[in-house]
Amino acid sequence: MEALGHLLQGFAAALTPGYLLYAFAGCMLGTLIGVLPGLGPAAGTAILIPLTFSLDATGAIIMLCAIYYGAMYGGTITSVLINVPGEAASVVTCIDGHQMAKQGRAGSALGIAAIGSFVGGTLATVALVAVAMPLASLALKFGPAEFFALMVAGLCLVVGLAGNNMLAALLMTVIGLLFAMIGVDPVRGAPRFTFGIEELYDGVGFVPVVMGLFGVAELLLAAEKRQTHMVEAELKSWMPTGAECRQSVGAIGRGTVVGFVLGLIPGVGAIVPTFMAYVLEKRVSKTPERFGKGAIEGVASAETANNAYANASMVPLLALGIPSSPTIAVLMGAFIVNGITPGPFLFKEQPQLVWTVIASFFVGNALLLILNLPLVGLWAKLLKIPFSYMCAGVLIFCVIGAYGLKQSLFDVWVMLGFGIVGYLLRKLDFPIAPAILALILGPMMERSLRTTLEISGGSFAIFLDRPVALGLLAVPVIVIAFLLFKPRSLAPLRESDIE
Amino acid sequence: MRQGRLVATGAMLAFCLFALWQSLLLSLTDRLGPGPGFFPFWLALIGIVLSLALLVSIWREPLPATDASIEEVSILPHGWGAMRCFAILGLLAAVTIAMEFVGFRLAMLVFNAALVIALGERRWWIIAVFAVLGSFGVYYLFTTWLDVLLPTGQFGI
Repeated sequence: MEALGHLLQGFAAALTPGYLLYAFAGCMLGTLIGVLPGLGPAAGTAILIPLTFSLDATGAIIMLCAIYYGAMYGGTITSVLINVPGEAASVVTCIDGHQMAKQGRAGSALGIAAIGSFVGGTLATVALVAVAMPLASLALKFGPAEFFALMVAGLCLVVGLAGNNMLAALLMTVIGLLFAMIGVDPVRGAPRFTFGIEELYDGVGFVPVVMGLFGVAELLLAAEKRQTHMVEAELKSWMPTGAECRQSVGAIGRGTVVGFVLGLIPGVGAIVPTFMAYVLEKRVSKTPERFGKGAIEGVASAETANNAYANASMVPLLALGIPSSPTIAVLMGAFIVNGITPGPFLFKEQPQLVWTVIASFFVGNALLLILNLPLVGLWAKLLKIPFSYMCAGVLIFCVIGAYGLKQSLFDVWVMLGFGIVGYLLRKLDFPIAPAILALILGPMMERSLRTTLEISGGSFAIFLDRPVALGLLAVPVIVIAFLLFKPRSLAPLRESDIE
Repeated sequence: MRQGRLVATGAMLAFCLFALWQSLLLSLTDRLGPGPGFFPFWLALIGIVLSLALLVSIWREPLPATDASIEEVSILPHGWGAMRCFAILGLLAAVTIAMEFVGFRLAMLVFNAALVIALGERRWWIIAVFAVLGSFGVYYLFTTWLDVLLPTGQFGI
């Protein structure tokens, strides 16, 4: 009941014209970014951070969250119309969505995707309201040892579940943590690894790093291939028929559950829930042979799971302060840039802010539905924007974003350097997500560990005396051991599983 | 690809070794507990072990086939793709240097025009409109509406 009261207050604030405008602008810009192939939600959220510099903290977070789930939906449009996923999570939507477009049913596919995204996102936010506050209350009982263990567990789950190359992911985590050590020591105040460079005293800026690793690196990859896109499908209507809606009801329900549950686990990534929801739908279907040939349930299940995951992944961020994916890490960086530290104290110290942001998720999901059904044709036209203009436009935002926060040209050089590094790492198949998460969690991890050791007089045995910390530290050990020695029958989901 | 992964892992090993050396210059412990060098020291040590393990793992990977294409062997861009990548990086470096002297608007005006030309645009009037909007227009939007300070250069432009 307490949560409901806070939520109603949150709605009162989120529905004020200013915050509604930010949510609307975020949904529009997010969808635009999602539509443009090559720019995923992480890059989109990162490059649009400068637009929020002048906003108050609540407005900035509302806008960036709206950009995030707008981008998650935007990827669907390219998946259906031109068989190119705007972001990784939309890969599954291509399978049946593009087949539907070829059959002249693109409008139905996009319509059911919008409806499924709305239902999945809204129900996941309802569950977030129910889960987040009790979880945050529990986390308030944590000491520094438990917080350190929680961050280690979160990072290791991201590493363990990120992909096959676990050794490289672990190394990238350590590299990210080492970069986080640059700047003034958070406990004693001594400068570290600064080499007399004044700009490094505040540490390596998170915004220039993510703009380089995501924005510049993705543009370089796109420039190398130079993809040109032409809209092939014709949009006759943007509403699914009554029969198609009835066919999709079960798929939307199951997709919501799959997306929400997997969204709570750090490191799962947006693509896994969509794959799992699709595979589940194919298994329960009485006509599985229709899948891959334009089955609307395939689109509904994947898109619902995608948005339910996006909203559920806010639970670990808001309640525990643990980002579960690179995009959520970018959002966490935006929280910190605005002077807010996500985690259990947020519910206690800034309830107005956190509940306004949660209420804005409901508003944003409704706005996305209202916007996306009638505007599908407009989004499809955006696919005709030439790469040269898209590239220049994105780079303008990257330069402003890197410079604008501290008015430092040094940060623009940092962005450029990390852009080259990000491009090379992508080509060499080194995972970037663990390094991003480590960069953002590094200072907090160090502070928690050092405070713990100061309490114990330097003895690591304190972790043995605290069962919650010990249990949390056991999680990554078990997960990594399981992944190293798992039976072949439990190999991760691959594209072949859904064909 | 294999060679590139070896070089990248070697670079990470060198970075971890450098971090280890630098952390040893800081105090690892003091009378209150762990010092500023404590956390980076252990991280660098773990990083060294992981880099070595990864180097061994990559070393044991099979060599690429002799008839493999250049895309499979090299990670660096080539042909027109390389030209486009170098154009983006070169222009980005140039605009960063130029902004300090001539300010955001003039630097971006030239950057936008040069970049779209380098990426294949040839219609001069579209280039001109885009360059003006992407420099003077964006400057006005960010400084007037969004209160973001952008460099004005030595001439105050």
